[in-house]
Amino acid sequence: MMVSSSRKITPIFGAELDKLVTLPLIWRTFVATFIVNLALTAAFTSANLQGAIGTQSILATGLASMGYLQAGFIILGILATCSEYTGGQIRTTLTTIPWRGLQLSTKHLALAVVTIPMALILTGSGILYAFIMMRDTAAEMEIDTMIKTLLGATGYLTLTTLLSAAIGALFKRTTPALVVLLGYYFIVSPLAREYLPNIQYYFPDTAGSYMYMPLSSGEISSLSPLQGTGIILAWTLFFITAAIVCYRKRDA
Amino acid sequence: MLTINNVVKHRGNQKILSGVSFSARPGRVTGFLGPNGAGKSSTLRILLGLDRATSGSALIDGVPFAELKNPLATVGAALDGFGAHRMRTGRAHLRWIARAAGLPRSRVEEVLEIVGLTNAAGKRVGTYSLGMGRRLGMAAALLGDPEILVLDEPVNGLDPEGIRWIRTFLRERAASGKTILLSSHLMGELAETVDDVVIIHHGKVVADGTLEEVTGTHSSLEEAFFALTTEHAGAVV
Amino acid sequence: MRAFNAELSKLFSLPGMWLAFVIGILAPPLLAILDSLAEKEDIIAGVSTRLSEVGFTGLGGGVQGIIILGVLAVSSEYLTESSESGGGNQITTSLTAVSSRLQFLLAKAGAVTVISVLLSILAIGTTVAATHLILGDYAPAFEASRLIGAVCYWTFTALLAFGMTVLTKSGIIPLAVLMINSSVVTISFLLTKVTKLAFYLPDMAGLDMFLSPSGGFHTPFTGGVIMFAWVTVLFLAAAIVFHRRDVAS
Repeated sequence: MMVSSSRKITPIFGAELDKLVTLPLIWRTFVATFIVNLALTAAFTSANLQGAIGTQSILATGLASMGYLQAGFIILGILATCSEYTGGQIRTTLTTIPWRGLQLSTKHLALAVVTIPMALILTGSGILYAFIMMRDTAAEMEIDTMIKTLLGATGYLTLTTLLSAAIGALFKRTTPALVVLLGYYFIVSPLAREYLPNIQYYFPDTAGSYMYMPLSSGEISSLSPLQGTGIILAWTLFFITAAIVCYRKRDA
Repeated sequence: MLTINNVVKHRGNQKILSGVSFSARPGRVTGFLGPNGAGKSSTLRILLGLDRATSGSALIDGVPFAELKNPLATVGAALDGFGAHRMRTGRAHLRWIARAAGLPRSRVEEVLEIVGLTNAAGKRVGTYSLGMGRRLGMAAALLGDPEILVLDEPVNGLDPEGIRWIRTFLRERAASGKTILLSSHLMGELAETVDDVVIIHHGKVVADGTLEEVTGTHSSLEEAFFALTTEHAGAVV
Repeated sequence: MRAFNAELSKLFSLPGMWLAFVIGILAPPLLAILDSLAEKEDIIAGVSTRLSEVGFTGLGGGVQGIIILGVLAVSSEYLTESSESGGGNQITTSLTAVSSRLQFLLAKAGAVTVISVLLSILAIGTTVAATHLILGDYAPAFEASRLIGAVCYWTFTALLAFGMTVLTKSGIIPLAVLMINSSVVTISFLLTKVTKLAFYLPDMAGLDMFLSPSGGFHTPFTGGVIMFAWVTVLFLAAAIVFHRRDVAS
């Protein structure tokens, strides 16, 4: 069984990758996120340059828009799985690839492959913009910190995308998945951060934010980047597993 | 060879299928008939592993669909609707299917040619007419040059030319020993295409046999169909 | 009028609409309770500077339900994620039933307005009750003028969501933009730190209708006028685009 699975996986992976890159919505989401992110980074940078806050680090400024930027990746993840249910494509998918668990996990793999470069470009461009605008005023930036932060942010965005894809697969419909995820990331979670400070570290977004948050800011950090990665990874795997279990059980 | 064996399907409290059994044999075109909501699509969906039967089995050459080694080369299926994302082009849709089955890209152009969709292949599926959508579905079903074809309402939305093409195409394939199962509610059309007929009504098979056997003493297949589905008569054969 | 009734019955038969109602009725009091609990000690000690805002913050932040309402009213017409058949484009049916597109759009906007007003009144009821439950006698007075402001804010928000969705034909962008912007720290609020012009954004202006009676950038009335101007401009743009566009495209 294992041998046949691994031989199957290459064509399935190719097909899932094809599906993603030929979907115009994916590219539109990417371009829109890129533009909005640059605009927000520009706004944050100029606020910092005028601002009373003083010596903000380039990294913190360049990644200040992360909270909003992740919305683009949430949408990306939802689109990847919910697009199957547009126009009855799911029937074609399952008559072509009837091994459901394999198909859905390969889809997540293909999505990760598409997402990683996108996330790198987005976070990189934000930091680059902040660097160009602030290099005269801001403190020096160490190159290895920057690389660590960049990788952390990319990892965070990729895991968020995969988690969103799993939620999308559970709901099958774009709108409810979007409402639930945006509602969680932008309304429930910020509230929880304010009112439930003790358990917020176990939430995927707060834990995940320690993957890229510059540690130098002086506050007492409760999680190391590795712990943060572990927690968000556990959430992501949990939801992917739940999605696969549901997907295998229910009628398409 | 397709074997449907005593398939029962419940959805909530509703009983969609109550013990459906029939088979479709190689070298013959089997017509699957029934009024709207009789359970035609549900049966085909279970056969293709899309839905799960509450009990009973639907086998393709003796195994369930999900256990086929190479599904696309064994069964070609075109179900109701386009089966494609509206924003993708027809060609891109067929390409990812071909990729999944390990088929070369040239095969995509071949099936586009067969169904007469070459000129529209670069357009988005959302702009297709109903007939073009059906042709795209047929193209996807033919990609793997399968031994078995399962078609849900294949002539629905096709122009007269398309209907004639489907009819001759299916007859030729059956003549070369392939298995074809198609559902329809167009009696006249069906009577000219099929060898065997299965009639389903309220989730039960009410007739199963060759076209002549099912038509029996009635003047046409249509008459037989109405006799069977309005009087709740028992099986003819 | 018949078109309006049809739109009402369409809205009420959408399953998502009930989600909008539940969120609309529960989110504001929940926010108000959290805010009241946080401020309770200060209020009882008489040192709270935010007494007049408590409760109203819930109405300002709990607009997700109304956003869903405005978006779904339009996106449901275009929804294509149907498991059967090639997808249900209800818009084709709608426009053959009501031939004038402007009439169709007005009827739909009318239905959204009526439901928004209804929902905001229900939300005010639950929010006021929740605030009184937590703060008892210390609960702030809810002046009628500010409550009317809150109703206007909700209705305008629903119409903004409505107009945006007509333009985009899909719920993704309006839902993302508006839901993110109803977050605890909104993008609009951040932008006000960069430029004063951001105070003229619809949500910043609209919130001045009821959230900060004395300290706002605009007076409640100008705030309302600015937000209404946004709604009008967006609706006109939507009407023009909708009028010119082919249904199928």
